[in-house]
Amino acid sequence: MGRIVSMNLFEAAQPPFTANEGQLISEKTASGLMNDDGRPAENNPSPTLGAHEDARDLVRLVQCTRCSRPFRMPVTLPCGNSLCRQCLPDVYEREHITYPDIPGRLQAFQCPFEGCDREHPASDCSVDVTLTKLMESITEVVAKYAALVGDRPTMMEEVVRWDEGVSLLPAAEKPALHEIPGGRLGATFVLAAQGKLGYNVELNYLSDLSESERALDANMLAELFESTQREVDCQVCYNLMLDPVTTYCGHTLCRKCLARVLDHTHHCPVCRRGLAIPPSLQTQSSNKTLVNLLNGLCPEIVAARAEAVALEERGGEGDLDVPLFVCALGFPNQPTFLRIFEPRYRLMIRRALEANGEFGMLMYNRYLEPQGDLGPVHFYHYGIKLRILHSQVLADGTSLIESTGVYRFRVKAHGTVDGYAVGSIERLDDVPLAEEQRIEAEDTSLPPAEQGDVAGAINRMSTRSLLALGQNFILRMQDRSANWLQQRVLDIHGQPPADAALFPYWFASVLPISDEEKYKLMGTTTVRERLKITASWIRRIESQRW
Amino acid sequence: MTAPLPKRIIKETERLQSEPVPGISASPHDDNARYFDVMVEGPGGSCYEGGVFSLELFLPDDYPMCPPRIRFLTRIYHPNIDRLGRICLDVLKNNWSPALQIRTILLSIQALLGAPNPDDPLNEAVAKQWKARENQPEAIKTAREWTRLYANK
Ligand SMILES: [Zn+2]
Ligand SMILES: [Zn+2]
Ligand SMILES: [Zn+2]
Ligand SMILES: [Zn+2]
Repeated sequence: MGRIVSMNLFEAAQPPFTANEGQLISEKTASGLMNDDGRPAENNPSPTLGAHEDARDLVRLVQCTRCSRPFRMPVTLPCGNSLCRQCLPDVYEREHITYPDIPGRLQAFQCPFEGCDREHPASDCSVDVTLTKLMESITEVVAKYAALVGDRPTMMEEVVRWDEGVSLLPAAEKPALHEIPGGRLGATFVLAAQGKLGYNVELNYLSDLSESERALDANMLAELFESTQREVDCQVCYNLMLDPVTTYCGHTLCRKCLARVLDHTHHCPVCRRGLAIPPSLQTQSSNKTLVNLLNGLCPEIVAARAEAVALEERGGEGDLDVPLFVCALGFPNQPTFLRIFEPRYRLMIRRALEANGEFGMLMYNRYLEPQGDLGPVHFYHYGIKLRILHSQVLADGTSLIESTGVYRFRVKAHGTVDGYAVGSIERLDDVPLAEEQRIEAEDTSLPPAEQGDVAGAINRMSTRSLLALGQNFILRMQDRSANWLQQRVLDIHGQPPADAALFPYWFASVLPISDEEKYKLMGTTTVRERLKITASWIRRIESQRW
Repeated sequence: MTAPLPKRIIKETERLQSEPVPGISASPHDDNARYFDVMVEGPGGSCYEGGVFSLELFLPDDYPMCPPRIRFLTRIYHPNIDRLGRICLDVLKNNWSPALQIRTILLSIQALLGAPNPDDPLNEAVAKQWKARENQPEAIKTAREWTRLYANK
């Protein structure tokens, strides 16, 4: 049992969400974010390999490219290629490196794999635990089947490649012929294990096989599959590893699982060694040997698994397919800057980036005011769909997000996935222009308002005068150098838009009034309605009632 | 509305039922698959021997990124377990790893019963009794007594 430290397990029950889930970051720090996130996994599904027909290709999947033998204590390099530990190139002392001053990091070797050519620090290359266990299981099954075979050996002839120049071949040097007991699959593996099957060499199988020998190959492959199943289960999600990534300590997890782990800690979940992998995992290659093995042996399972993950991330069956960030208010066409530090929201943002780069943002409902059909939920039900324009992951894993409001929506239903909210949403648009005009005509033809009826007067103004009221107010405030209209604010939000439909959003974004008040714009469906709201704010400011 | 249960929780639950750990049981509630009723038998040779302790275990939304929440429901006299049943165990906090599971956590708790650690207590009063050499027999006697009183099947 591990060391015991003091702890406090059942702290006062926390609400599932807190107001400060993310944090709006001050606008001046948020400029110039670089987009350096999001790296797709390389998945190239190939058809399932047959035990008998594809015996040669199957064996190649576990052959070391350097020594051509089945992997012995394989090491997976940071570039995702694997080779036997004893096939690692000689290490040399790296020069001109003083940081970090860890002995293993100062030693390196030149990567022997084509397309990599990098220098790998020796400390980043541990024995690949998953591959090693896989090879143990495979060797066991092969040995078991070797004991089962009859007398009839499998005859194999190396295929002579024309580019090697057949005419130059001395007559005595016929293509190598091998004779090994067992079915094709077992015999081919044994040939490789004996070091007699070059990685690139193809084979002609000379002997015909009986039904029973065919069955032997098929059974063996089935048993290989069965016995290796446990090794290719991810220790975090308990599923078949999807896009496996191997850490420098030699432990393998699904890329997404490793990314989630790194949201919480920088230690390997299996051995607790420190992981020097960048939080975005952007540059970390998949374990190519494992990817090829899984795609070769069970492409359907891999595909089904990818599907299931996508479904899980969408919140399961049904249409809770939009990640919802309960944080603050945002408006269409206006920028929102976010600093995401909580692990669950880092996960949410990563998933959004992998999908369409969008998520919903909702305002926190502190006093649990009822929200239509949803009742008293922890968010206001009108929100803004945000599109991520730039994201940057800092060294501590915090993400800086620059986004823009795309459209308003209403939450129809909601749930939780991995600690963050998801929902199905309904886009909220303005009424058609004809209806907008009808309303204006109706409003403006009302009998004049009573003296002192501010709301009544606003209600009767034409849409154009309502917009002009706002624009003139801004001009007056600029003349007076109002604090909230400094150049810095205009740099971020731009000049007031001439479009009456958008003006209120801009106005609300720059005006220093409460979010609860600004939220009134969110449920509007006409331009007039929004302009009336902004006009009422102006009148209240003018009469100094704020 | 709740999201479907992650495959991992389903598999862990199945394995807990199909390959049970001797002296430990954990079964989920019918109406909440993240909430488990747990029974742990006091380990043989310890002052909790013969007792059957009931605990509650809850898997939070971001399990297994975060550890399960777990506490004793049965009263127990132990330096690392407080009056509310909260447990002071490193793997439930800083040393949690998503490669651990319900099974390993319950085994750790059972082991904690067999090896109390008064040097890093949660329950100061109990720990003081436990640590003072002259009081230790008394403390162990109390633990036995409480086990007989409260952890009786
Ligand atoms: Zn390399
Ligand atoms: Zn090798
Ligand atoms: Zn996984
Ligand atoms: Zn590790």
